[in-house]
Amino acid sequence: MAHYPLLMRDAYQDQLDELANVLAGMCDEVSEALAKATRSLLEVDLHLAEEVITDDIRVDELRDRAEEQAFALLALQAPVATDLRIVVSAIHGAGDIERMGDLALHIAKAARRRHPQPVLPPEVAPYFAEMGRVGCALARKAATVIRTRDLAKAAELEADDDAMDDLHRHMFTVLMDRNWTHGVGPAVDITLLARFYERYADHAVAVSRRIVYVVTGRMPGPLTV
Amino acid sequence: MATDPLPTQLADLARLLSQMGTAAAAALQHATTALLDCRERLAQQVIAGDAAVDALRARVEEISTDALLFHAPVAGDLRTVVASIRAAGDLERMGDLALHVAQVAERGRTLPAEVRGDFAEMGRVAVAMARKAAEVAGSRNVVLATELNADDDAMDELHAHMFTVLMDPTWAHGVGTAVDLTLLARYYERFADHAVLVAREMVYAVTGEEPDTIRL
Repeated sequence: MAHYPLLMRDAYQDQLDELANVLAGMCDEVSEALAKATRSLLEVDLHLAEEVITDDIRVDELRDRAEEQAFALLALQAPVATDLRIVVSAIHGAGDIERMGDLALHIAKAARRRHPQPVLPPEVAPYFAEMGRVGCALARKAATVIRTRDLAKAAELEADDDAMDDLHRHMFTVLMDRNWTHGVGPAVDITLLARFYERYADHAVAVSRRIVYVVTGRMPGPLTV
Repeated sequence: MATDPLPTQLADLARLLSQMGTAAAAALQHATTALLDCRERLAQQVIAGDAAVDALRARVEEISTDALLFHAPVAGDLRTVVASIRAAGDLERMGDLALHVAQVAERGRTLPAEVRGDFAEMGRVAVAMARKAAEVAGSRNVVLATELNADDDAMDELHAHMFTVLMDPTWAHGVGTAVDLTLLARYYERFADHAVLVAREMVYAVTGEEPDTIRL
């Protein structure tokens, strides 16, 4: 009998670890989705765009799983203190990461809508390549923060998000410039696309900030989502 | 200090969420007026007022966490607490989106005559949706929640129409205006999406089912 509570505790710890694994796995999925969506934009690749659109369901399924696990933990284990914060932050995180998947999906849909025409004029393509690179790195780092609760890695996300904001602002400068020759249509597409990348980054940062809150008890900045 | 009993906490959560919805509706209504009538002072008031919505959200999270910690609710009560945490996030975001509209108004952007009617209508639909979401959150009126889906379809049509206007070859207001209007239309559309999500959360709390799977 003496060992029984100990065994219970282990099963409980396993459940918490499994919840973190599902969330981190979601981050990996949406990082891959953004990488593919960005390539579909840059390389005008309809097949890749379709793949992102079809695969989004996997992220939604992982979210459902994370939420079921979070509910089971709350209902059956009634966690307290740090563990309770972990479960609540997982509920928030699952929502944020699912939204990141939706934003990658929106990018892929823009590529599909204009196909076989490219969405991006050549002079803005490099900025989107960079926004894609930064966005994917943010999602992968969020996965690391979820798995390891590494606060130094969490701080990196803040710097990456600043880089994304700079790129986002710069896109507007390009669009508003007198030398913009591509007219209103592409400008409207690019405005929304740049916004999708920027929001993707915001959600990754929100995920990471919630983990920092779990570890330190203090929220490192506003949850801008 | 002893924590409140669970029924008191659940009633507090419903009241706070309803307040958040009412505040978000008022913020977007004022932001839209500021945008249509170029009232920069009114826009500044909306921007300053957003902190109040953020504070309500923090309060919802506190009460929810206390409820989980001290009462370990199960079944419908657990769903209500979790739904409240999520809905508070959506309502806070609605406040942020109203703030974004106000920020555009504050910069003194004048709407071209041919889109004024569309933005007035997007404002009207979105504000009505926020008020309904507030009522659903306060009263758990699941039937009213289903109305929001029809409202959201109306918003999507308005949003799609804006792009037709902007992409039209006769568009005479330049790229800068088109960029601002693209984002503005997006803010209204997202505001409406979050109002739908709030109602869905409440339906889920009451019934334990996602709204898609229930026949009302």
